[in-house]
Amino acid sequence: MTQTAVVTSATPSRTSNASRRFKRGVISVLWALGGVAIAILMWELVKWVGTLVSLPFDSGDGTMPHVWTIVDAFSQPEVRGSDTTVLQAVVASAAHSLLIAAGGFIIGVSVGLLLAIIMQRFSFMERGLLPFVIASQTVPLIALAPLIVGIGNRISFGPVQWNTTYSVMFIAAYLAFFPLSVGALRGLHSPTPTSLELMRSYAATPRQMLFRLRFPSSLPYLVPALKVSAAAAIIGTVVAEISTGVKGGIGRLIIEYAREASSNPAKVYVAVLGALVLGLVAAGLVTALDLYLTRNLPKEGKA
Amino acid sequence: MRGKLRAIWPPILIAAIFLIAWQLLVVIQDLKPYLLPAPSLIFSTFTSSIDLMFSAAFYTGSTAFMGLVFGTFIGLVLALLAQRFGVVNNLITPLAAGLAAVPIIALTPILNNMFDITSRTPRVLITTIIVFFPVFVNVTKGLIQVRPVQLELMKSMNATPRTTLRVLRVPNAIPFFFTALKIAAPLSVIAALVAEYFGGPQTGLGSRIASAAANTAYGRAWAYVVASIITGLVFYLIVVMVEKWTTPWTGRSTTA
Amino acid sequence: MSDSTAVNAKGIWKIFNEGQANEVTALQEVDLTVDQGEFISLIGPSGCGKSTLLRVIADLTDATKGELTVAGLSVHEARKQQRYGIAFQQAALFDWRTVRRNIELPLELAGWDKAKRKERALELLEMVQLSDFAEHRPWELSGGMQQRVAIARSLAVDPPLLLMDEPFGALDEMTRERMQNELLRIRLETGKSIIFVTHSIPEAVYLSDRVVVMSPRPGRITDVINVNLGDRNEDTRESEAFFESVTAVREALRGRTGNSGSSIRARVGEV
Repeated sequence: MTQTAVVTSATPSRTSNASRRFKRGVISVLWALGGVAIAILMWELVKWVGTLVSLPFDSGDGTMPHVWTIVDAFSQPEVRGSDTTVLQAVVASAAHSLLIAAGGFIIGVSVGLLLAIIMQRFSFMERGLLPFVIASQTVPLIALAPLIVGIGNRISFGPVQWNTTYSVMFIAAYLAFFPLSVGALRGLHSPTPTSLELMRSYAATPRQMLFRLRFPSSLPYLVPALKVSAAAAIIGTVVAEISTGVKGGIGRLIIEYAREASSNPAKVYVAVLGALVLGLVAAGLVTALDLYLTRNLPKEGKA
Repeated sequence: MRGKLRAIWPPILIAAIFLIAWQLLVVIQDLKPYLLPAPSLIFSTFTSSIDLMFSAAFYTGSTAFMGLVFGTFIGLVLALLAQRFGVVNNLITPLAAGLAAVPIIALTPILNNMFDITSRTPRVLITTIIVFFPVFVNVTKGLIQVRPVQLELMKSMNATPRTTLRVLRVPNAIPFFFTALKIAAPLSVIAALVAEYFGGPQTGLGSRIASAAANTAYGRAWAYVVASIITGLVFYLIVVMVEKWTTPWTGRSTTA
Repeated sequence: MSDSTAVNAKGIWKIFNEGQANEVTALQEVDLTVDQGEFISLIGPSGCGKSTLLRVIADLTDATKGELTVAGLSVHEARKQQRYGIAFQQAALFDWRTVRRNIELPLELAGWDKAKRKERALELLEMVQLSDFAEHRPWELSGGMQQRVAIARSLAVDPPLLLMDEPFGALDEMTRERMQNELLRIRLETGKSIIFVTHSIPEAVYLSDRVVVMSPRPGRITDVINVNLGDRNEDTRESEAFFESVTAVREALRGRTGNSGSSIRARVGEV
C-alpha cells in the first residue's frame, strides 16, 4: 500500500491528475446516461404492464405518453399555427428563469459572503445570528413565496417600479443566501491555529489576514456551498414562478402545459425536462467555476 | 450553566431587536398588511386561530411524514444494494448527484395527472422522491467509506462480507444516516408544502397560505407561515433528539 | 516444516501493477524465518516493503510469487484459523463499541459465547492494565491507551503470532518507551512470536532478538542484525551493548540505502 503511494506521489503531475479527474467525470456521465436509459425502459415497461393489469395509477397515453411521443412534441408548434416550436418555447422560458436565478444567486451570494465576514469578525454576531441561519435551513422559507409576490407592483424604490420578477429573484436570493453564509463562515474559520499564528508573527492586518489567509483557505468550503446555493436559486426561482404565476419563466410554462395535458399530454413533459436541464446547466456552470477556483489546490485534500 | 447562558442570550437578544424593529417599522411607516403585517398581528392571528393552524400543520405534517418514511426506506434498501453491487452504485450515484441540482418538485404536475389529484398520493410521492436522494447518497457513503485499516482488521479476522456489513459498515453508516435525516426531515415538510401549490385538496399549510394571500388575509397567511416554520423545526428537532439518544458516539471520533 | 517455525518465507516477490507503466517491485526475493517465540523487527526507510511483507504474511495481500507458511500452514489457512493477531499504527477501534466489546470483536467473529467472551476480554484488559476502562468508549482514551486496547484485541484469540505494523508510531516518545516495556512484559507472559514493523532504530534494537534491515526500490532484505541484550530493563537503553547494536543497525541502513540522493535513486531504479 505505502509503496504505491510513495511512487505515485514522487512524480506528481498536474496534467495526469486533471485528465484522470476528467476521465472519471466522463465515466460517471456515461453511467448516468445508462441510468436514464434504464429509466426510459422502465417507463415503457410500466406502460406495457398497464395494458395487461390495472395499476393504481393512470398509465394510459393521456397521462404517460410514449417516450417517442414526448420526443415528437419537441418539434411541434407551441400553439396551432405558431412559428415557435414547443422546444423553442421551453428553451426560451428556461433561459429566462436562468437569468432570474442568476440574479438571485449573485445577490444571495454577495449578501451571504458579507454576513459570513461580519460573523467571523464579531463573535457576538456569530453567536446571535448563526442559530437563526442554521434554523432557517430547516424551515420552509419557500412558504413565503406567495406573500412576497403580494408585494409585487405595489411599491417602488425611487424611479424603480417593483415588479413580480423582482419578487421571484428575491426568493431565489433568499434561498441561495443561507447555504452560502454557513459554508463561507465555516471556511473563514478553517485556517489552522498555526497559520493564524504565522500571520500574526508577520504583524498582518485584519484585512491581510482575510485576503491572504482566510479567503484562500475557505475555498474548499465555499465551492460546495456555491453548488448548493446555485441549486437553491434554481429551485427557488421555479417554485416561486409556480406559486406566483409570473409569466416568462419555466415554472409558469409547466403550469400552463399541465393544464393542457388533456389535449396534449406530452407538452408538460418537455417543460419538466426543461426545468431539470436548467438545474443541470446551473450545476455545470458552478462546476466550471469550481474547476477554475480550485485549480491550484490538491485534488483529494480537505473535505 | 454559564456557558449555556452565554450561548442562549445573543440569539434571544437579536431576535428581540429584530421583532421590535419590525413592529416599529410597521407602526411608524404605517405599512399596509399586504406589504408586511406587524409581528403583533401575526401573533394574535396565530393564537386566535390555533385550531386552524394545527389542522393544516397536521395535514401537511402527515404528508411529509409518510413521504419521509417511504423515501428513507427506499433510500436505505438501495444504499445496501449499491454497497453490495457496484453496478447499482455506478448507475444511481451520478444520477443522484445530478438530481440534487434539479427542481424535482417540478415533477408534481405530472404526478398530479397520473394519480388522483384529489387524494394525498401525488404529494406523498413527490415527497418520497425528494427524501430518497439525500438518504441514498449519505447512507451509501457511510457504507462504503470505511477506514481501510478497519477493513484490513476485518479481513485479518477472516470476516465474511456479510459479517463486515453487520459489524463494521452498518454501524459506520449510522452517523451518515442521521446526517441524511437532518437534511431530509425538513426537506420533506418543504416538499409536502410546495406540492400543495400545484393544486389539489385545500387542507394543508401550502394551500392555506396561498388562499389566504389570494383573499388578502395577510395576517392569516403569515400566521400559516409561522405554523410551517414550527412544523419544519419540530421535524428537525425530533431527528436531533433521536440521534442524541441512539448514537452517543457521533460527532466524536477516535483519531489515533 | 517443524513446529518451532512461526513463519517461513522463501523467495517472496510482490509486484504492484505488474506489466503496467507504474510497475513497482515492493518485495524482491525475500527469505525470512521466524522461530517460535522469537521477536523480529522489520526496519527500513519508507517504501522498503516492510509493511507489504507484514501484509503478505497476514494474507491481507497476495504475494506475486514465493513460498510462505505461518505455523506450518498456508497464509490463507493461517488467517482462517486465526493463527495470528494484528495491530496497526492506527488503533482502528470501533467508536460505537465500548473498550471491552472492541476486544471481544475477534471472539465474536470466532463464535465464542457471550459469557466466555466477556471473561476473556476482562482478563486481557487486566493484562494491558486498563480494567477500569472496560465500559468506556474508545474516544475517551488517550492514544497510548487506545493502542493498548488494540494490542489486547490482537491477543484475544490467543494466537501464537503477533503482527505489529508501527503500533507505536503515532505516540510520543515517553509513552512509546512505556509501551515498549509493556509489550516485552506481555511477550514474556505469553511467549508469542512477534513481527514488528518500525521506523525507529532504538525501538527495533530494544525489542528484538533480530533486526531485519530492508531497503527500497526494489524492496528487499539487505541485512539481519542479531541483538543479544538479555533481559531488558530501563538500564538496557543506556548500556554499551545497546548502543553498539543501534550503531550496527544504523550502519546497515546507511550502507545499503545510500544518502537518498535522487541520482542514487535513479540508478537503483534502473537495475
